[in-house]
Amino acid sequence: MDSLISTFHIDWHLIIAQAVNFVVVILVLWHFALKPLGKLMDERGKTIAGGLDNAKKQEELLKAQKAEYDATLAQARSEASAIMQSIKKEAETKRTSMLTTAEDEVKATIDAGRRQLESEKQKMLADAKTELAELVIQVSAKVFEEGMTPKIDHAVVVENIKTLNS
Amino acid sequence: MENIQHENTIFAEPIFYIGPPAGGWPITNSLLTSWVAVFVIVLLSVIVRKKMRNIPSRLQHFFELIYDGGMDMADQITGSRKTTKKVFPLAISVFFFVLVNNWLGILPLGGFGIVTHSAEGNFFVPFLRSGTADINTTLMLAVIGVIGSNIFGIMAIGVWKMFNKYVNLKALGAIPGKVRRDPAILMVAPITFFVSILELVGEFAKVASLSFRLFGNIFAGEVLLASMAALLAYGLPIPFLFLEVFVGVIQAFIFAVLILVYFTIAAQDHEAHETS
Repeated sequence: MDSLISTFHIDWHLIIAQAVNFVVVILVLWHFALKPLGKLMDERGKTIAGGLDNAKKQEELLKAQKAEYDATLAQARSEASAIMQSIKKEAETKRTSMLTTAEDEVKATIDAGRRQLESEKQKMLADAKTELAELVIQVSAKVFEEGMTPKIDHAVVVENIKTLNS
Repeated sequence: MENIQHENTIFAEPIFYIGPPAGGWPITNSLLTSWVAVFVIVLLSVIVRKKMRNIPSRLQHFFELIYDGGMDMADQITGSRKTTKKVFPLAISVFFFVLVNNWLGILPLGGFGIVTHSAEGNFFVPFLRSGTADINTTLMLAVIGVIGSNIFGIMAIGVWKMFNKYVNLKALGAIPGKVRRDPAILMVAPITFFVSILELVGEFAKVASLSFRLFGNIFAGEVLLASMAALLAYGLPIPFLFLEVFVGVIQAFIFAVLILVYFTIAAQDHEAHETS
């Protein structure tokens, strides 16, 4: 043992000095640098994991919202299509109804016009007959002058009218 | 013209003494190098701490890589993150202390030193000699590792179980209770007891193997470099310098891993392990 100590110069002074060196290394390296570094890395890892988790949640939320949007859009399209169909049908019905009404109104107006025209025609014819009769009387009076009595005149007029009517 | 001899001594040479040379505190070149190593580690630690940011700088990134890789590797050895967190500070400190010491010893600054005069002649004593090329340093590390592992074992499994690992009184004490049921215990128990004594001897062997492995490798490396430089100073030592850089890393790694292994073994309950 003594030869080992003397050969290698094992000296407790040096062992203690080196132990102090090593303790300084542990204290400084671990407690001053690596421990805070590990803490920082853990926190960073947690932040990154949290961020990834959040991103995943956001992605899922986005997917859900996209699906909801698509569903809403499809429903809106379907509803719009149904409304369009309904409106078209309604419009068609209304158009048909309006056309019918317009046709009826036009027909009624034409009929009324015709009726009015007929009535006016009849009235004009009657007026014309009356005027013609008077004219015939006047003409006859002038032709026969005093040769005819009022009774004869009237008879002649009636006769003429009948002739005219026939 | 004085003849100055360059010798690679197996021990670290004193540069000066604090107190009288006989019985005083010798300040050897390896101790001086260790102080430089401590200074370098402290400086790096301070820089890392001062410039610690969420977005790491190159140096911080390098330390983060070592820290993260080291923790992962230590997990594989210890088998649990809980044990790793307890042992890793010592192991990583050993790694850095040994590594920086190993590398400082191979710095090509061998020309700086002092000349000592003695009856045998004049000897050149370089200022730089790797701290780990001195048995005092490696012995200190090995003793801290082995004693530390036993303290860790006591904290993990208790004094009695730890004591029984080395002096297995439990095995001897079990003889009267089990001998009728199992007469073979008369043979097995003394063997178990003897094996436990071997475990105790093994603890001393661990100190010797740890300290001499590191010392031998690093000292041999320095001798190799000096020999190559003596053969052809220009160029020839360069490949060996690279080899020693590599050896420095490997030796530091091996020492740190062995410390982790010893701590892990010490924390294991043999009985529970055997029962399971």
